[in-house]
Amino acid sequence: MSEFTSESSTQSEFTSESSTQSELSSVSSTQSEPVERLPVATGKQTAGALRELLRGNRLLAAAALGALLVSTAIGLAVAPLLGSLVDLVAAHRAPSALVLPIAALAVVAVARGLTSALGAILTSRLGETMLARLRERFVARTLDLPLETVERAGSGDLTARVTNDVALVGETVREGLPQLAQAVLTIVLTFGGLGALDWRFLLVALIAVPLQLHTLRWYLRHAVPLYARQRVASGDTQQSLLDTVGGASTVRAFGLSRGHTEKVAGASWSAAELMLRGMRLVTRFYGRLNLAEFIGLGAILVMGFFLVRADAVTIGATTAAALYFHSLFNPINVALALVDDAQAAAASLARLVGVVDIPETGHGESGRRPGGGTVKTSALHHSYAGGPPVLHDVHLDIAEGERVAIVGASGAGKTTLATIIAGVHTPAGGSVLLGGVPLEELSPERLRTSVALISQEVHVFSGTLAEDLRLAKPSATDAELRAALDRVGAADWAQALEHGLDTVVGDGAHRLTTTQAQQLALARLLLVDPPIVILDEATAEAGSAGSRVLERAAEAALHGRTALIVAHRLTQAAAADRIIVLDAGRVVQTGSHAELSTGDGPYAKLWAAWSDNRN
Amino acid sequence: MASGSELLRENVAGQRKLLAASSTLAAVHQGGEALVPVLIGVIIDSAIASGSASALLVWVLVLAADFAVLSIAYRFSARFAERANQRAAHELRMRVTERVLDPRGGAESARLPGELVNIATGDARRVGKLQFAIPYGLCASLAGVLVSAIALLRLSIPLGLTVLLGAPLIVFGAQLIGKPLERRSDAEQDEAAFASGVAADLVSGLRVLKGIGAERPANARYHARSRSSLTATLRAARAQAWHDATILILTGLFIAAVALVGVLLAMHGSLGIGGLVAAIGLAQYLLGPFQAFGRLNGLLAQARASAGRIAAVLDTPHAVPGGERAPAEPVRGALSLRAVRCGRLSGVDIEVPAGALLGIVCREPDAAATLAELSGRARDPESGQVYLDGVPLTELDPALLRTGVLSAAHNAELFSGTLAENVSAAAGGVIEPALRAAGAEEVATTLAQGTATRIAERGGSLSGGQRQRVALARALAAEPPVLIVHDPTTAVDTVTEAQIARSLREYREGRTTILLTTSPALLAETESVVFLADGTVTAHGSHAQLVHENADYRTAVLS
Repeated sequence: MSEFTSESSTQSEFTSESSTQSELSSVSSTQSEPVERLPVATGKQTAGALRELLRGNRLLAAAALGALLVSTAIGLAVAPLLGSLVDLVAAHRAPSALVLPIAALAVVAVARGLTSALGAILTSRLGETMLARLRERFVARTLDLPLETVERAGSGDLTARVTNDVALVGETVREGLPQLAQAVLTIVLTFGGLGALDWRFLLVALIAVPLQLHTLRWYLRHAVPLYARQRVASGDTQQSLLDTVGGASTVRAFGLSRGHTEKVAGASWSAAELMLRGMRLVTRFYGRLNLAEFIGLGAILVMGFFLVRADAVTIGATTAAALYFHSLFNPINVALALVDDAQAAAASLARLVGVVDIPETGHGESGRRPGGGTVKTSALHHSYAGGPPVLHDVHLDIAEGERVAIVGASGAGKTTLATIIAGVHTPAGGSVLLGGVPLEELSPERLRTSVALISQEVHVFSGTLAEDLRLAKPSATDAELRAALDRVGAADWAQALEHGLDTVVGDGAHRLTTTQAQQLALARLLLVDPPIVILDEATAEAGSAGSRVLERAAEAALHGRTALIVAHRLTQAAAADRIIVLDAGRVVQTGSHAELSTGDGPYAKLWAAWSDNRN
Repeated sequence: MASGSELLRENVAGQRKLLAASSTLAAVHQGGEALVPVLIGVIIDSAIASGSASALLVWVLVLAADFAVLSIAYRFSARFAERANQRAAHELRMRVTERVLDPRGGAESARLPGELVNIATGDARRVGKLQFAIPYGLCASLAGVLVSAIALLRLSIPLGLTVLLGAPLIVFGAQLIGKPLERRSDAEQDEAAFASGVAADLVSGLRVLKGIGAERPANARYHARSRSSLTATLRAARAQAWHDATILILTGLFIAAVALVGVLLAMHGSLGIGGLVAAIGLAQYLLGPFQAFGRLNGLLAQARASAGRIAAVLDTPHAVPGGERAPAEPVRGALSLRAVRCGRLSGVDIEVPAGALLGIVCREPDAAATLAELSGRARDPESGQVYLDGVPLTELDPALLRTGVLSAAHNAELFSGTLAENVSAAAGGVIEPALRAAGAEEVATTLAQGTATRIAERGGSLSGGQRQRVALARALAAEPPVLIVHDPTTAVDTVTEAQIARSLREYREGRTTILLTTSPALLAETESVVFLADGTVTAHGSHAQLVHENADYRTAVLS
């Protein structure tokens, strides 16, 4: 709706870029339907959160409102001053009588400007401070959420909230609310001013109000679902474009151009048609408001005619009343048009507060310290949210410094086992002991200094290379960072970067290859320096040549640590002290490579596939 | 090279009928708006001041007519403009899409997908918006100024001149004052946007953060970023507030000046009361159209820049020149590379007989990628030639060539849609055998709705190994006479990989298939293997033979 904040200020119609925002927003919200969405706050919770944010800022809030009120009130003095000038002319007064009202007009102009600046500054300080606190709490709570919660909801939901919802609330706080506040104040005070001129002016001006309210209700009833459809449609366009453009070489290789072009055209034009329908709605909305404007203005002029004839008011007062009402056209349009922006912002706010208000889960706080790098699981069971069991009765006993490889087909439960031992997921049954201490008794900090997990998911954090590494150890010196990079074989390319450690990496900046990104992950691991390390196919995504580089890097990073490796190449397994073969959630074989590679067990069969042509 | 301005002209001209209609109506609308304060003045003057009821009736009816005209004119001008806007943007969007998908390729080479999508959406929209800027920013404002000017000059020439000269002066003065402020506030808003980027980045790396327990440092980083963004935003808001205040003050003083001149004239008797009221109303009203002129410049500049970006995409040189011929039907499937130099390849000769199952091992990974590109004609060799059934690929139409030769890239993208839709995208018949051979049937069994499960954007809802198996199934289902697959199973677990290797051989029996890989499980199933090192073929033989005899080869595939 922000495209059409007001009819007569046509300029705002074509400068608005906010639809970009909404197009992007729906991309993430339309993708794969998550099983269980993150919570959305109720109206009461949202209001409570707002009160809480407002606490400590009450004075500021009062000052901001006060400044806006004063500035609007001063602005209203313009029309009666102009009216009094008309009266001076009508009364044939000498030019010297003009000095006062003209000077007053100038003073009003300056005072209004100054107070409105003050109001805008105070309002933005209030809104922005509250917004900053809200987004900080949101991010803090998000980082603390159990990964299971996030995964059940799909990370798209969370990303959409942290980007689009925060942006939408921010935009509203920055532009919508001050405009709305100013408009509402202007409307209220102008009606007050009309009443002050003569109560009968106020009365006739109010004739238009029912029509305006009715129009607004009519509009919202049609607009809200239409705009929701528009967002979905432009998200579809964006998505089909991203799909087609991102996979252009695949589209060409498979000869799918025609189908993809038609898909993009279909999505693009159906989004366009919804925009056209939106425009029809908007024009009808303004058509009705035009009618209300005419009715109000006409009524005031007619009333003025009778009042002047009855000598109840002056011509100047009638002029002022007409000018008042004419100057209401814009604020009324703005206020009515902003109502659905405000509704959208309230919905976003509820989504933010919903996450902030997720109750904290208890952490182990026993203060116990793991005694070394042993890992022991007994009778470990797990299944995901009512699904079939993925782990059955897994018993593991890993000695300090031992290197254990897990081998198995996909779906065998390798990753589940890895994430449970890393304390990322909580098992449905059974226990995990790290250094002799039950996992659930470890405080989060202890847990993290005891065990680290690197998965095949690669992520380079935006920022400089040094900042990325310091996420693992904020106190690390540059020398330590370089040493860590050196150990994982990344020193060469890191030094070759344009600004070395200060090179900005990540999305939209210098892009690292998958291999480099995973080397970075291993360097972070060195900086965390935990006694127990779990690698979940950490070398898999890099492609065959890259994975060899990574295996060497992993070798260096694992040195002297207890390691559990979800093996992806059998050479990794062959190099481990012990191999565990998982099948459908059960340990079916365990032993060294030498023991398992002969005979006809499952591991031996696998190894044969690799090596039967070799010896 | 077609410049942005040319594209812009062409695009705007494409909608000239709608544009003319909406411009005319927008002018009528704006003129109607300008008449409202004039009519208020007339009613006060000729009806209220004189107490004439019949004059009141007539002029209120005229006011009603004015409202009716301006409202209807707005309704249709806005609809026409929107239609023109949507059509123009849609047309550009499709031109970009078609260029990107052109069989000769090249458009996406130096650009990130997100950037291209932004060009096809954001830039196309900004150009489309001109269909609003022209009727509203230009034509309507001109009409508003014209009507006001006539009205003012008819009322009083000195007063009219004061308003007509003063209003633009005020607007442009305000713009001049605002320029540096706006620039500063833009820079600061960029910083604010950065904080949101940091948050999104941390959330998308949540799993990685949790893996190394970096939640606290991450939170500390975001907090610091959020605070500095807050400071920047507040600075920007302050700058904006003073900018707005300056404009408000200037406007107020201007109105006071107009009032002073008007009242003096009225006291002189050369202006009626209604004229005075109208003049003040018009002075206020005129600031709008003049501001619109000011903004028009910025919009034009924006649209020109956007059109420039679009034109740059449309004009990107093709990656491969076309070619006229179609491959001879039926494609037998003999592929040969002769003295091919390209990128890292320095003189490569490979003969792939029709129907062979060949492994190619490249010690340098980018050599493998280059071979994959050459065989599907995503690029042409710098020298030397690739032949399909004896015909040089450069003579073949790229789109037609690809019906005979499918080169499935290592990182081939999946598309949104169901698993079955993905696999059957290029398939003629049933897809089940291909699903089975690629191990994708097993992927389907783990999904909620089997092969009817929707795959999230670019395969995001699947693991790397699952994605690769679906992509391989798609390549197999296409049943190309010649199939080149590049590292198809790097993220597939070893157990499954071995199964895929066996079924792949059976599936492609009798049809030319090239496996660009270093995976021993796949290579073990090939008939023979070519080994490339340092850009040339250094060995040729069976996998077993090469493992035994060639130490370099052994290192490349086994360590």
